[in-house]
Amino acid sequence: MTPILTACDVSIGYDRPVLEHVSFEVQRGEIVTLLGGSGSGKSTMLRVLAGLLPPLSGEVCLFGESLYELPPEARAQLLQRIGFAFQQDALFSSMTIEDNVGLPLRELTKLPDSIVAEMVRMRLAVVGLEGLGRRMPSQLSGGQRKRAALARASILDPELIFADEPTAGLDPVVAAGIDETLVQFRDVLGMTVLVVSHELESIRATADRAVMFANKTIVATGTLDDLEQSQNKAVFQFFHARDA
Amino acid sequence: MRTPAPGTSIERKGRQAIVHVRGDVVVGTARKLHSTLRALQRRRELKQVVVDLEQAGRIDSAGVAVVQLAKRNLARSGRQLELAGLDDKHRAAFDLAPEYVKPKRESRPETFLERVGGLVIGLGVSMRELGSLVLETLRQSLNVITRRAKLPAGSIGSHIISMGADAVFIVGLLSFLLGMTTAFQGIVQLQKFGAGVFAGDMVGMSMVREFGPMMTAIVLTGRTGAAIAAELGTMRVGSEIDALTAMGVSPVRFLVVPRMAALTFIEPALTLMSMFIGIAGGMLVAALVLDMGPATFWARVVGRVGLWDFVHGIGKSFVFAWIIGLAGTHLGLRASGDASSVGTATTRAVVVSIFFIIVVDAVFATIVTLS
Repeated sequence: MTPILTACDVSIGYDRPVLEHVSFEVQRGEIVTLLGGSGSGKSTMLRVLAGLLPPLSGEVCLFGESLYELPPEARAQLLQRIGFAFQQDALFSSMTIEDNVGLPLRELTKLPDSIVAEMVRMRLAVVGLEGLGRRMPSQLSGGQRKRAALARASILDPELIFADEPTAGLDPVVAAGIDETLVQFRDVLGMTVLVVSHELESIRATADRAVMFANKTIVATGTLDDLEQSQNKAVFQFFHARDA
Repeated sequence: MRTPAPGTSIERKGRQAIVHVRGDVVVGTARKLHSTLRALQRRRELKQVVVDLEQAGRIDSAGVAVVQLAKRNLARSGRQLELAGLDDKHRAAFDLAPEYVKPKRESRPETFLERVGGLVIGLGVSMRELGSLVLETLRQSLNVITRRAKLPAGSIGSHIISMGADAVFIVGLLSFLLGMTTAFQGIVQLQKFGAGVFAGDMVGMSMVREFGPMMTAIVLTGRTGAAIAAELGTMRVGSEIDALTAMGVSPVRFLVVPRMAALTFIEPALTLMSMFIGIAGGMLVAALVLDMGPATFWARVVGRVGLWDFVHGIGKSFVFAWIIGLAGTHLGLRASGDASSVGTATTRAVVVSIFFIIVVDAVFATIVTLS
């Protein structure tokens, strides 16, 4: 089966490479977590894979198409099949939560307003924000804003969702709710989810597979069990730093 | 098995309509099913609508929303919508649809009187905060002058450069053009009475008492007042002001006093420059149109414009500086919540500054005329 997303010999970074010549695949219907310490390049990798930042070299294939080889219009069309939940939620502060979540539907589809409103209501309920649609982003807590961002990222039922640190800085109960939502996206809506995280609890609750970055490269890939038993120093430290 | 092309067909059985759905019901195709169900909702004789999904392919949130909306609309008139022929994937999609909970009634809209009251209370709060800011600025300035506190190193100098030195060209150019325009307009009228020689008196008085201070204040409002409001507003939204407070550093001393001090220096300096450049513009026009030599023109200016006129113009410029600084800092610090509040603070800072500059100018003119 063709992978939904492939990174082939990709080097990424801004002024200088943070990851060099890395390759991995994401299969349809799985939740894959990108792991690594601070500054290891996992968030930058997510931006590269989502078409927001060209790689320094190498090829990114999304839905079988070479993402950065496509002309801008074709790339924009392809990116409509993905959703991106940013670390800082990136909600439009001058719009209500309903308007934020419904924005992709209003801009990219010809659905009537009544259907858009119903879809927004349903998706807000899925992420646990039913009844809060009329509020402004500034009136929500950090966890609620992250859930609203997930609702917006998923409103078009994208085939692939990128989530950058969706549970960072949240209390365990709220974080567990977001983990549950991601699993629901995979199980019920058939979405593929690519998450950047370093929250071990969340990773254990959601990830089918993980790819770990350190020292500018991939140091481990596989299931969580594989990684937890890895003898690689960086991987061992990541999983067992608190055991000592 | 290939999914058939999207479409619907309707089968009638007495007071029941069965909608056979074919193909995917997703964002791009859900409108078809929506139109079909809406048409059936208008048929009053129907008691039940069955949506048969046996030949349906993928159903996404749009498809679920279409069915849920129709179900709710039919239920309102005591009719039913049933689903049939669902497979496991369809069931999973519909399981995501939550029970409809009627939204709570919106709170009663404000009456006109309540709105006016709210505005008056808001204005009162804003005035009180402005008063506190003025007092705190004076107190912190006194602390700095008496060396009990210090300003961030180099802050006044950097503000003088960014607010003042960078504005020299635009203030100079506009003043020169304004002086030229005033001279042109004046000479045309004065020549009708054979009084063209008074052009120097007119340009000198208008540049020193009105146009110099006013032109500089308006340019600084647009350039500096707006920038102060936007900068402090962004700092407020980004919790930088709270960070200063939490560190025990006075935001007024750290942010407001250096800006006010820089403006207090810049505005009169630029006003003085504007007066002389404006007069030079008038001098050029007088030389070209009236063939009046610069020395003659300058003698007319000096003969008419006295020290008191300079005091009047420069005195006003100090007040204008404080208006621009206080409007920018006060409204910037009051911004809260989101990016749009920064835009609002910036716009208000410009509007409020220009309004009060004109009001103060009118008050000055009245006092001087009456005295």
